[in-house]
Amino acid sequence: MVKILIPTALRQYVDQRDAVEVEARTVGEALETLSRRYTELRRHLYNEEGKLRSFVNIYLNDEDIRYLQREATPLNDGDTLTIVPSIAGGGHGDQHHQCAC
Amino acid sequence: MMRIEPAAWQAMVRHAEQSYPNECCGALLGVVENGVQRVSLARPLRNVYAGDQRDRYEVDPTELLAVDREARAQGLQLIGIYHSHPDADAYFSKTDLENSCPWFSFVVLAVKKGRVEAAGCFVPEADQRSAIRQELVLPEDSRFCTSKP
Repeated sequence: MVKILIPTALRQYVDQRDAVEVEARTVGEALETLSRRYTELRRHLYNEEGKLRSFVNIYLNDEDIRYLQREATPLNDGDTLTIVPSIAGGGHGDQHHQCAC
Repeated sequence: MMRIEPAAWQAMVRHAEQSYPNECCGALLGVVENGVQRVSLARPLRNVYAGDQRDRYEVDPTELLAVDREARAQGLQLIGIYHSHPDADAYFSKTDLENSCPWFSFVVLAVKKGRVEAAGCFVPEADQRSAIRQELVLPEDSRFCTSKP
């Protein structure tokens, strides 16, 4: 079994659980199993092409899966997956909102 | 509604003013009770944006992972993200919208001439094309104004 830690805002789609355990051999299989079990969650993780949304990062224990084998990364019993979003921004490019101070 | 407790608010203001003229960013931890987000802890994060940080910020996902673990260990939830707009208003910019994640509430602090003067709270829509303004309640003795929803 592997444990998938669910971010606060997505817990409403997984019966308010903070973690879900699934049987899976790869990261992709684990996320697919999770999305099949909780169908409302799918659109928050995947885009219309069925790819993980651009701001979704998946960590296997302490490693970002982009630096492993991405969704083909194999899993071992007891592994933990964490869903972590990319976040950026700033006031750039909206000159009309700049103050006159 | 998001209600920020005094210690968390003071930490956010201090971080925003110390980071001026650059943008700062951090995580908001707390609990959600009866639909009210109560923030008890503001955890500063590094702005890792590689370019000019006066009008951009970027969170290191690895730091966010560590904060998420900290929250879970303390029985708290990672509720939102804060960042500052140096010499700009407390609004949710196009850049914020395009680079945010619609899972969180985002608090924006307006820092004018090195002092925090206003704050607003926003929740991006799922398509990241617009954001809803969320009611933000600050400590009573704060000298700042909030943008009403």
